[in-house]
Amino acid sequence: MRKWSVPAQIAISFVLLLLFLPLFLSQESWPTTARDILAEDAGTQTGAENIVSAIYLGYRAFDTLGETIVLLIALSGTMSVVSLLKRNSEDERTPVSLDFSLEEEKRAHHRLRTHLLEVVTGKIGPIILLFGFYVVMNGHLSPGGGFQGGAIIASGIIFFVLGNPHRREESEIQRTTLHLIESSAFLLFLLAALVPLFITGEVLANPFESKEVYIIALNTFIGLKVGAGISLMCISMIERRNV
Amino acid sequence: MTSRLLLLILFFISLHALIFNPSLMKKIFALNILNSAIVLLFITQGASLGSRAPFTTESPDQMVDPVVQALMLTAIVIGVCVTSFSLALVVHLHSRYGSFDYRHIRKELANDG
Repeated sequence: MRKWSVPAQIAISFVLLLLFLPLFLSQESWPTTARDILAEDAGTQTGAENIVSAIYLGYRAFDTLGETIVLLIALSGTMSVVSLLKRNSEDERTPVSLDFSLEEEKRAHHRLRTHLLEVVTGKIGPIILLFGFYVVMNGHLSPGGGFQGGAIIASGIIFFVLGNPHRREESEIQRTTLHLIESSAFLLFLLAALVPLFITGEVLANPFESKEVYIIALNTFIGLKVGAGISLMCISMIERRNV
Repeated sequence: MTSRLLLLILFFISLHALIFNPSLMKKIFALNILNSAIVLLFITQGASLGSRAPFTTESPDQMVDPVVQALMLTAIVIGVCVTSFSLALVVHLHSRYGSFDYRHIRKELANDG
């Protein structure tokens, strides 16, 4: 394999950069048509005050369905690769220095497993979880929504996992519960997409009288799914020892 | 203009690392920085229209463009998916060949046959 010298590296990157230069430095004025139309109609057409929510749950809800499928596929791929890793490294098991899940007697000697971590994560976890649900439920009225709130919920769950002192026994139950939440939220999202087909004759059309209900329901399903999915990914990467 | 120049520098750094850094782990970092640079570029472009958040209660003349924000939401989620899967693959390679360096991994692969 040939090794590039530093000037050559910089020259090659610079040439590549020149291709993207117009993109970054263009002074073209941005069109305002879409914004004006959306600011006028988004609230009455989809029932969401937050126009970003109105776009990704109202006008582009089908695209969001595909996006959640991408998340599901990435999750299953990650989980399968990580579990393969665990099975391979099972026989030559060396103590992993970055493992947070230690038994009580070993924990005193472990430099990462401090009291500070335990106390702080245990106290902050529930508050962050509550905030995450608030962001999900208010996604149509305030900044936020399913994906953003789901990421906050995931960080709350990860704090719980880091702060839980008896993790070895419970982690399997936790993992199964998260899997259950993830797949049932996806099922509910699919149902919410398909049920309107029989009522209004269109996929992902709002079947209710009040438009907000449908947006809140979709936001909740996405929030649960993203929260469970991302926290599952992180948990499976944190704990390498106990399968 | 300053923000765009800064984004250009960020883009340059990540592009350089993505091409020339031999460590696969750092390539993933570079991919993440690249993603952030593009997302920030789009957000900056959309914010050239105004400075108010995209709500129907705000006055439409001063609002940022909501379309780019909705697009970037998708881009961020896909970025998370790509990062997690590539991290899992790279850690798997490391556990097998003991290195993040792709030259080392390639040599080991050649030895394996």
